[in-house]
Amino acid sequence: MSDTSVIEVSGLTKAFGRTVALRQAAFSVEKGEIVVLLGLSGSGKSTLLRHLDGLETPTSGSVRVLGKEVPSLSGRHLRALRSRVGFVFQQFDLVPSLTVLENVVTGALAGLRGPRVGLWSYPKRLKLAALGHLDRVGLLDRAYQRADTLSGGQQQRVAIARALMQDPEILLADEPVASLDPESSEQVMSLIREIAMDAGLTVVCSLHQVDLAMSWADRIIGLRHGDVVLDTHVEGLGKAEVIEIYGRVATSTGELEAIERELTDVPSGSESVR
Amino acid sequence: MLCGTVLAAVVSVPVAYIAAANTTPGRGWQALGRFVTVLTRAIPDVVLAMVFVLIFSLGTLPGILAIGIHSIGMISKLFADAIEQIDEGPRRAIRAAGGSRLQEFASGILPQVLPSWVATVLHRNDINLRGSVILGYVGVAGLGLEMSFAFKSLDYGLGLGIALVMFALCVIMEVVSSVVRAAMLGIQPTGRGLGDRVARLAGRATAGRVAIAGDRIGTSVGLDTPPSSATRPAALAAALHRPWDAVRIRNTVWAWMALAILVGSVIVCDIQWGDLITVWAKIPEIAVLFWPPDFGSYDAATMFGAMAQTIGIALAATLLSLVFSIVIGSLAARNVAPNGATRTSMRLLLVTIRGIPEVILAIVLIVITGLGTQAGTIALAFGGVGLLGKLIADSFEEVKSGPERALRAAGASRSQVYASATLAQGTPALIGHGFYLLDTNIRAATILGIVGGGGIGYYLLNAGQGSNYQMVTAIVLMILATVLLVEGIAVWMRRVFR
Repeated sequence: MSDTSVIEVSGLTKAFGRTVALRQAAFSVEKGEIVVLLGLSGSGKSTLLRHLDGLETPTSGSVRVLGKEVPSLSGRHLRALRSRVGFVFQQFDLVPSLTVLENVVTGALAGLRGPRVGLWSYPKRLKLAALGHLDRVGLLDRAYQRADTLSGGQQQRVAIARALMQDPEILLADEPVASLDPESSEQVMSLIREIAMDAGLTVVCSLHQVDLAMSWADRIIGLRHGDVVLDTHVEGLGKAEVIEIYGRVATSTGELEAIERELTDVPSGSESVR
Repeated sequence: MLCGTVLAAVVSVPVAYIAAANTTPGRGWQALGRFVTVLTRAIPDVVLAMVFVLIFSLGTLPGILAIGIHSIGMISKLFADAIEQIDEGPRRAIRAAGGSRLQEFASGILPQVLPSWVATVLHRNDINLRGSVILGYVGVAGLGLEMSFAFKSLDYGLGLGIALVMFALCVIMEVVSSVVRAAMLGIQPTGRGLGDRVARLAGRATAGRVAIAGDRIGTSVGLDTPPSSATRPAALAAALHRPWDAVRIRNTVWAWMALAILVGSVIVCDIQWGDLITVWAKIPEIAVLFWPPDFGSYDAATMFGAMAQTIGIALAATLLSLVFSIVIGSLAARNVAPNGATRTSMRLLLVTIRGIPEVILAIVLIVITGLGTQAGTIALAFGGVGLLGKLIADSFEEVKSGPERALRAAGASRSQVYASATLAQGTPALIGHGFYLLDTNIRAATILGIVGGGGIGYYLLNAGQGSNYQMVTAIVLMILATVLLVEGIAVWMRRVFR
């Protein structure tokens, strides 16, 4: 493992009772990499992401993030690490009854002392920063609306703005577009990528759509039933490798055959037109 | 009365925090929190008032403290339940961003439970309004005291006049809760209840201005406008100040009005704050009066008989209320009532019933039927319909409309839809509300005894008036045991019928 890796996972095993969610997972992520954890639901990708932010404690193994051994941290030290790692959730997880702006400033809570209630209790500098991030995600005009009046895609963009409030070095995203329609998905995914490129962020994002992962990520880590079954860079992959990826990650063989057929049919179809 | 509720509302926040399973710092704390809620609920406010009257002599402070402490139990129980039912997401998001536990609570949990907290506090205020009548009987100042004098001097005209004032107050409270709830939940009040109607009227007046204000914000900075570096900082600085649109103006006006009313109520109560400091010295000597528990001149069998009678009254009243409120409550639900007129009249009936304090009802019934358990049971049953009917109607309106639609589409009649979809979905709520009423009734039955409704309350009043405080302790312990028992059964039943 090189000096520039910001995430180093080795021998990570997590069991919930008898179910093993992760088995001996190991990989590392370089600074600035955009990585997708690819797998079906139940493959362990959410659990893996949650370990990176200390939301879960491993049964065994090591999780190093930004040079810190996450499971050994607690209290103030854990919060300090979390404040350097942004997290975007599938269900957005905004407080529905608060305004958009107040939801965004809560991202900065780690840098403040004590509980805060109401916008007036946040310093002006943070409110300005929050407005800036809202502008970045294209929702400045919604700042004073209640969060639950926004559409799903807009809410997820607010959640991204909230994560940006932390000035994160790493951005984790757990199925950020699973509850969104294709168009909003597209918007959110390209927004995450743009922001990551601009700020040199390291991104680890879990997804279940192979095609989306292929077109979006620099690198794909495939998970299946708690095992890391794939770790590859996307650039320059041939057709055989793509089928291989589907094969490793998809569950049923029927599904795999269907995909294989589709991939082989397309070129032959275009030939007949010619 | 208002002061007492506010006191309870404030204290209940930390109590609920430690009592709720998902926020509690530890198991021991949770047990302590739950114990405080049960204990404060079990001790009748009359007894508390008695104690505080002893400590402070007459005045408003004993009443405020009695109502306050007694209300802590209910508010923090409901509040703790609400905390346990929140969406964990926002809270997890704040934890993931590195927020501390307290920050998680303030930013992730509190905003979610605030509407339910306000609703509970308003509801409790409603109950306390009626409760303050009975406190007059043990010498706490207020309308209740005036009324008890009126009835004691057999001046029924004056008494009923005061009762009417109380009724009007109750209806006003109902309207206020509706308006506040609608504003907090951000929903358009669509109900046909009295409160909803007033809320709608108020809303209509401001709606036009909201639309205009909304347009202005919408056009100033659109999503599609490309960010031009020169104007952006200015736009951000401009956005720092929240525009004063109609909604914000309305909310601010309401908030300041609420604050003014609270401050006003404290001033009106004319509290002797000094008493709060000087009384601590008196507590030991008064505590001695209450210990050990003793049945005094009565034998244990009489007392247990009286307790059984009280439980009997509560059970009978609950059963009676349940039967009537299923009918009235169903007809008051929007998705069950055959037409708007039925629903409106049923809702109006429920508000009217709730507006009549049970104690006043009991006193009137006693005048008619004479002393005894009959008057108490009917009074409680009647009052119960008001509360249970409303709860049932609300929870029926909240059931998912999908199954109802599906059955209607399959050609089911109105009554078939009701039985197979509405009632089936509403049953768990029905059971929960039934037990809640039983729980309330056991305590209420105690109090009704004081005005002559039969049961243990009669002995409680006797003991209190005869300065036989050891007996008061014994009776309170009996009530506590009963309430704990009912609480246990309710918890068990809820688990079984989930």
